[in-house]
Amino acid sequence: MAEDVDAWGQLLTAANAGDARAYARFLQSVTPVLRGIVRAKGGGLGEAGCEDVLQEVLLAVHLKRHTWDQGAPVRPWLYAITRYKVVDAFRARGRKIDLPIEDFAEVLAAEAGPDPTEAADMAKMIDMLDGRSAEIVRKIGLEGVSVAETGQALTMSEGAVRVALHRALKTLAILRERHVK
Amino acid sequence: MKTDDLIRALAADTQPGPDLRSLLLARLLPALGLAAVAVWLVLGFRADLGAAMLTPVSVARILLTGVLGIAASRLALLLARPEGRQTARLWPLAAVAAAALGLLAWAYLTTPEGARQMAMVGKTMTTCLVTIPLLSILPVAALHYTLRQGAVTAPLRAGFVAGLSGSGFSAAIYALHCTEDSPLFYVTWYGLAIAGVTLVSTIVGARSLRW
Repeated sequence: MAEDVDAWGQLLTAANAGDARAYARFLQSVTPVLRGIVRAKGGGLGEAGCEDVLQEVLLAVHLKRHTWDQGAPVRPWLYAITRYKVVDAFRARGRKIDLPIEDFAEVLAAEAGPDPTEAADMAKMIDMLDGRSAEIVRKIGLEGVSVAETGQALTMSEGAVRVALHRALKTLAILRERHVK
Repeated sequence: MKTDDLIRALAADTQPGPDLRSLLLARLLPALGLAAVAVWLVLGFRADLGAAMLTPVSVARILLTGVLGIAASRLALLLARPEGRQTARLWPLAAVAAAALGLLAWAYLTTPEGARQMAMVGKTMTTCLVTIPLLSILPVAALHYTLRQGAVTAPLRAGFVAGLSGSGFSAAIYALHCTEDSPLFYVTWYGLAIAGVTLVSTIVGARSLRW
């Protein structure tokens, strides 16, 4: 676990410098831990519901990754975002939850293995995006198409695809905020 | 959508996020510069500014409000981070407040009884109470705008320090015009103006800094 945490700092540093592969590894490696936290706190939501909340947390981590202070430990930063978003997500679903931050240290990662559940909320939000943005998110996310190929398919430059993707993800966060409530 | 798919989409977005510290500086410094120019053009700096700068009791106004502004803006940057809720310590602000109250008590004791009321009420109370909040609008807005781009997890506290910072700096700028050098005046009325701005900023922040 301690090695993981050091690795998180290195991966996130590389990610914030623009290394997409390091960033993917960072997200993949924090996801089981965050999933464990969400499940431990929100058993009543069911697996798919927990996965919705987890995805909300990941989106928040993504959009706020610039607020991590390079050199500071990743864990308190990550847990603070997680706590904030989990409390928010539960409130939005009409539950109250008390989440002392100290508890987080003790939550174990959910057992590894393939991502088990299909979450529903994110797909609904993607449907609400404008056609082109939705297509970009689907191509890159669901179909695993690279940014360059997505650009070719949509006759856009790579840079334009990246800008559009960034905007789309920001919009997704705003849509969630509005619609889950 | 599966979480692995989401991660793929997130990882493809390599647009770097903003650096909050430089963003805040790039917004706050022009806002304060504009406030200083506005005071200079509309009200004028005090005629004896040079001499006042050598008078400790007069310089104390600028020092106290300036230190308040700096301390609170540093806290704002801390509170822009999600873990700021745990790491930001508000006691430096209390230290500034204690110093101001100490100065007030000292002035009360050293001012002759008959002159106290006049020193406290002064002649420019209304100008002070109107100008400091007006000067605070842009700096406080700059702070709020920057905080919104951060990840504030304590919106009430963030709004509070944003208000203190913006109005502290603005009071320091107003002091370049104001000739009321008695702590009985400035601790009272600058303090009230700062408190008013901070109250509004706290209420606004508690709502608008959620994300």
